[in-house]
Amino acid sequence: MYRLLVPIVLLLALIGVSVLSDKPSPRADLVFINSSDVNTLDPQRMSWMHDLRTARLIYEGLVRNDVLSHGFDIEPAVAESWEISDDAVTYTFHLREDARWSNGEPVTAEDFRYSWRRAMLPDLVSDYAAMFMNIKGAQAFYDWRVEQLEAFGEREFASASERQSASYELWEQTKAQFDETVAMRAPDPHTLIIELEKPIPYFMELCAFAVFMPVYEPLVSQYERPDPESGRLIRRPGWTRGGVLISNGPFQLTRWRMKRDMRLEKNPHYWDRDNIAIDSIDIPSVNDPNAGVLAYQTGAVDWIADVTAPYRGEMVAQKLEYLAEHAEQVEQLKAQGLDQFAIDRQLPPDPRAHTHAVSSFGTYFYNFNCKPYLPDGQPNPFADARVRRAFAMCIDKRAVADQVRRLGEPTARTLIPPGSIGGYTSPEGLPNIGDAKDNAEREEIIARSRRLLEEAGYPQDFVVTLSFNKDAGHDLIAQTIAKSWQKHLGIQTRLDQKEIKIFRDELKDKQYMTARAGWFGDYGDPTTFLDINYSTDGNNDRAYNNPAYDALLDRASVELDPEKRMQLLSEAERILVEEDVPLVPIFHYATIYMFDPHRITGLSTHPRTKQNAFLIDVLGDGKGPEQPRPMHAGADADQENES
Amino acid sequence: MMTLILRRLLALPVILIVVYTITLTLAWAVPGSPIENPEKRPKPEVIEQMKKQYNLDSFPRFYFSYLDSATGFEYLRDKLSGELARERQAAIDEGLPAPHRPVFDFGPSLKYDDKTVNEIIADSLPVSVTLGATAILIALVIGTISGVIGAVKPNSIADLSTLSVAMVGISLPSFVTGTVLLLVFSIWLGWFPVAQWGTLRSIALPAFALSLPFAAYIARLTRMGMIESLGADYIRTARAKGNPERVVLIKHALKNAFLPVLSYLGPATAFAMTGSFVIERVFTVPGMGEHFVSAVQNNDYFLIIGVVLVFSTMLIVFNLVVDILYRWIDPRIA
Repeated sequence: MYRLLVPIVLLLALIGVSVLSDKPSPRADLVFINSSDVNTLDPQRMSWMHDLRTARLIYEGLVRNDVLSHGFDIEPAVAESWEISDDAVTYTFHLREDARWSNGEPVTAEDFRYSWRRAMLPDLVSDYAAMFMNIKGAQAFYDWRVEQLEAFGEREFASASERQSASYELWEQTKAQFDETVAMRAPDPHTLIIELEKPIPYFMELCAFAVFMPVYEPLVSQYERPDPESGRLIRRPGWTRGGVLISNGPFQLTRWRMKRDMRLEKNPHYWDRDNIAIDSIDIPSVNDPNAGVLAYQTGAVDWIADVTAPYRGEMVAQKLEYLAEHAEQVEQLKAQGLDQFAIDRQLPPDPRAHTHAVSSFGTYFYNFNCKPYLPDGQPNPFADARVRRAFAMCIDKRAVADQVRRLGEPTARTLIPPGSIGGYTSPEGLPNIGDAKDNAEREEIIARSRRLLEEAGYPQDFVVTLSFNKDAGHDLIAQTIAKSWQKHLGIQTRLDQKEIKIFRDELKDKQYMTARAGWFGDYGDPTTFLDINYSTDGNNDRAYNNPAYDALLDRASVELDPEKRMQLLSEAERILVEEDVPLVPIFHYATIYMFDPHRITGLSTHPRTKQNAFLIDVLGDGKGPEQPRPMHAGADADQENES
Repeated sequence: MMTLILRRLLALPVILIVVYTITLTLAWAVPGSPIENPEKRPKPEVIEQMKKQYNLDSFPRFYFSYLDSATGFEYLRDKLSGELARERQAAIDEGLPAPHRPVFDFGPSLKYDDKTVNEIIADSLPVSVTLGATAILIALVIGTISGVIGAVKPNSIADLSTLSVAMVGISLPSFVTGTVLLLVFSIWLGWFPVAQWGTLRSIALPAFALSLPFAAYIARLTRMGMIESLGADYIRTARAKGNPERVVLIKHALKNAFLPVLSYLGPATAFAMTGSFVIERVFTVPGMGEHFVSAVQNNDYFLIIGVVLVFSTMLIVFNLVVDILYRWIDPRIA
């Protein structure tokens, strides 16, 4: 009889062992849910927003953005001060003496040379390698390395050991080649001199970008070694594990369990540690959007960085209702210049106030294929800019934003979200039926569109195909757009829903007529949006080619006067969204946050949507200054007001 | 007994290599590339580079290089050539912990750059084992008891109600039962935490949700077995000897009726420990089931193979354990 109990005993033993091996740790001072699981903590290989957000917690670059300033000002970080030469190509950074790695070693100029060299190597396939090619000699170094690797692949070796020593030798040569060709010099441990190929007005913005943050050479180099087969540097994972990773930011990584959680503790050696108001951060991995909201409601989570639950539209609607109830007070506070989080903090507490729609540095748009012929060989009506303009004006963008998305997102007339880049003036953009003041204006826009179609010689005898991938509500948006076109232009439409991978391939091969798209900016300069329409750019899915547009971007890239440069770029965007219209901006994205405005402070409302979570202070936890940290004017305030 | 164990253990690597070959072939045939970045498409030369680095451009090269590292040959070579010692020394010289090199290296994850498949499995397998083992334990207790109750008085109200509950347990998909349990016990009553893992309290609800279909199946197996053995001659004999009913039921009838349950327990435990994808999603349990699905979606070859191999090993091992128990509980079989 007792033998029947053996399976039960075995199971109990199994449970006991696995539970004991896995002790929970106390709740961190701040628990937030990132928009997705972190892919990598290797800054040079990052490209995802949630990776970059985490990188800014554990690493620190030469400079950083003051995300709480209206101008998103550049402020000192590892570099205490810097000088820019008159010809704007030589940058001299003075690194602070007390910048430290989390093991107490000083952060030096060599660390930056090492880290940036990693990004410049073809071996590491950094997504953002192109940004480093602005540095003098970087492109030549990259090309040299590619050539050498090709030659190595073709070489014959007598033995395996000879092959191996040759691969090490090539690596030594590569390091020497870098020292010789790339204009990054470190005359002493705390001075870094960088020479650019040509003036890059947004170079300081790049220096604040997480991909430019340093890694600790003695650790990282152990996980990289030349591959005897190909001569390439092979990267092994392992140095980004909790307890192993050594970093120089406000926090250090103590634990990282895949699809489970990440734990950060304050870096005891961080130079600005006294201004960090939290000691520990937990970033649990919650993939189910609904579970995230539930966890927030039970108090297990303090901040959700991207609410994607299907009912978030209702959450935003409730927030608007709450604001409407206090409309008078909100108007007064707005007039005082308070930011949206600071306003929420002044209003009476209410669970509805925990939802926040924050404008994002990204735009949802529709691509027109600009090629003369369609994939099926028929002439493409959208090859004519007049047709594109007509279609663009007749999309009811208001209906998409207010009835489909329902996140309080602004309709878009430009590709770059207005007001997101200091010193840049957005063009007017084409009028749109959704934004018409009254019916008469609406009718006029429709009549104008129809005239454009007639001029172009296109009667209503063609069918427009709208391509989109099948997730995230793109189908509803496509339906709304199709309805607009059918109703106002009398054009037949066909909806073409695709699997994401196939959709992406067709976009790349220009096998579509019109297709949904979206773009998020990487750095605070118009080129981060405008470059994707350059005729030869890898992301020019529209096959758009206007020499005048390219010429404006080319001229801007050599223009030394920042004001003139911005004018050139603004003119380029004007051509893009008013004349040529290879794409129709529909709306600018909003990100939905969840946090208690009376408890959490230090988050930015700037349209660049970049958060430095180390600025967060949990009010009422007895740590830090316990003072709200609202948005402030910042150093460039005067310039900002003019624009 | 020893030959059985020996034979199975010898067969294990052969089976795993067959499983590996089939899995890789299928994974390779799935359209899409593991190195595509959905939002920001990498440049062609970048893709080329990555293909070379991971041998994604050639099936045979990938096949053999993976076999080389996963079977421990690569480790052995580096050990013999002194490469391992060199790495260790280099780390010690810098005052850093020595790089960790597993003997059986299942490769890097193509989706999660920083993680090896070994690490991902080491992070998630204990979670899945805890959840699965608890679920099977609950299923075993609930299932056996309700099965016995049903068999003692067939077609009684008690029998019919346990049978219908069992039917519901089998037919209802776990995302329904899981969500309802979560809603009632976590949200309305607030007895259990949401989206947290680690404490016994957080294990209870997902384990219960996961146990339902298994419990239902065990109940039906037990009931069938019990009804059959209660009609057998030796039960009449046992009763005739004047044994109390409790002893007859448990000692004589259940012992035989339990054997089909036992043989079901092997694969059931393996499935509960690895295939609880839906329950893991609903309750945010950081287990291995998630990787089964997402690895395929991401074309993450290394991870797909890794989890499939772990699952195969568990299936084989649990079946072996069950076979051993079988012979031990019922010596007639040996």
